[in-house]
Amino acid sequence: MEFNFSLMTSSFPLLLLGALVTIKITALSVTLGVLIGLFVGIARICHVRLLRVLAAIYVDFLRGTPLLVQIFLIYFALPIVTGQRVDPFFAAIVSCGVNSGAYVAEIFRAGIQSVDAGQMEAGRSLGMTWIQTMRYIIVPQAFKRVIPPLGNEFIALLKDSSLVSVIGFEELTRRGQLIIARTYGSLEIWLSVAIIYLVMTLTISRFVAYLERRCRVDDRH
Amino acid sequence: MIDIKGLHKSFGKIDVLKGIDLHVTEQEVVVIIGPSGSGKSTLLRCMNYLEPPTSGTVAVDGIFLNSESNINKVREEVGMVFQRFNLFPHMSVMQNLMLAPMKVRHLQQAEARAEALKLLEKVGLSDKAKAYPEQLSGGQQQRVAIARALAMKPKVMLFDEPTSALDPEMVNEVLDVMKELAREGMTMVVVTHEMGFAREVGDRLIFVDDGRIIEQGEPKAVFENPQEERTKLFLSKVL
Repeated sequence: MEFNFSLMTSSFPLLLLGALVTIKITALSVTLGVLIGLFVGIARICHVRLLRVLAAIYVDFLRGTPLLVQIFLIYFALPIVTGQRVDPFFAAIVSCGVNSGAYVAEIFRAGIQSVDAGQMEAGRSLGMTWIQTMRYIIVPQAFKRVIPPLGNEFIALLKDSSLVSVIGFEELTRRGQLIIARTYGSLEIWLSVAIIYLVMTLTISRFVAYLERRCRVDDRH
Repeated sequence: MIDIKGLHKSFGKIDVLKGIDLHVTEQEVVVIIGPSGSGKSTLLRCMNYLEPPTSGTVAVDGIFLNSESNINKVREEVGMVFQRFNLFPHMSVMQNLMLAPMKVRHLQQAEARAEALKLLEKVGLSDKAKAYPEQLSGGQQQRVAIARALAMKPKVMLFDEPTSALDPEMVNEVLDVMKELAREGMTMVVVTHEMGFAREVGDRLIFVDDGRIIEQGEPKAVFENPQEERTKLFLSKVL
């Protein structure tokens, strides 16, 4: 076995550029996913039946089909319907964000349902509407409880974002493929790619653990 | 002030309330007693629609609890105190008191703050304004919960076993606040096991069993000379 260490170091800057793109996709998808997830999660338990059904369909469909297929649907199938070419960056963010939204919705739903029912009763008995009580009383309490599962979801999303390499979007995994195509250094490059992913996911999990600790220490702000 | 006619409530196949008629007049203190599972808490919770009645009508201050907007209107006028306090744990005592007046009554922050401070003084907790619920004892939490309900300037206060979750030595500090409220002329409906409180503060005592009002009257009279067998049996166990 031949191990070319200098290939690792020389390709490192290029891979880092890819990692930056991965971070960018993940950050934007996470933002989109949390926004969608919050609303879909609340819709799943609201008293409007139609919203509950729509939210359940959303969650079922996106959890029940592979992300890879969803990426293909948006990047290859959607243009056939609309007649418009889809930008790979747009396809990457939307497919990852919309997919993550379904998982985040379930996380929020569980978090909201874990808040004592007496909190909703207290809010409502003070004359606040359901939405006001959700916004000021329930969701802020649920948020703290969902930090750990939300952290897991972010890590999963960061790793899953490697799937957008299939539509030629140059994030970390795709960069690795391209360098290997040029240098044949599969071992060195895939090892580098794996290490960079690991550094990113460990950073997130440390950050989540820190947030969790902070919320426990002053469980009130 | 509160008008209940033909109130029935079932949970699935279980009939909890089997036809309740009750009228509470302004400034009256009505104390509801009865064995657990008798439906007394459900009756109270129907008064602000935390439990929707299966049939029958409930009206508060002339407003029928029959539409979402009416329900919210009634709830603005009806304060409720829960057995388990239900303070908002992520907010300070002050924030607990200021939230609903600002969001529902649209008070300015300064107004809400001044009002909240006044109420904290009333319940004897001025020094706890910045504390968080978990830092308070049960008795203190319940007094904050009373102040929070009063911050909406309600016309009626409902108490759902307000001292049942408290350590014995904290019961009196909460009852004292309630007595003070009664003296000031607040209309109150109190579900409780505190017979001393019922006798001392209640204008009317209602004994509920098996989803019906079995007996009611002036507390002293009911305690000393109950007419119904079931009332006698219950009182012999609790007094």
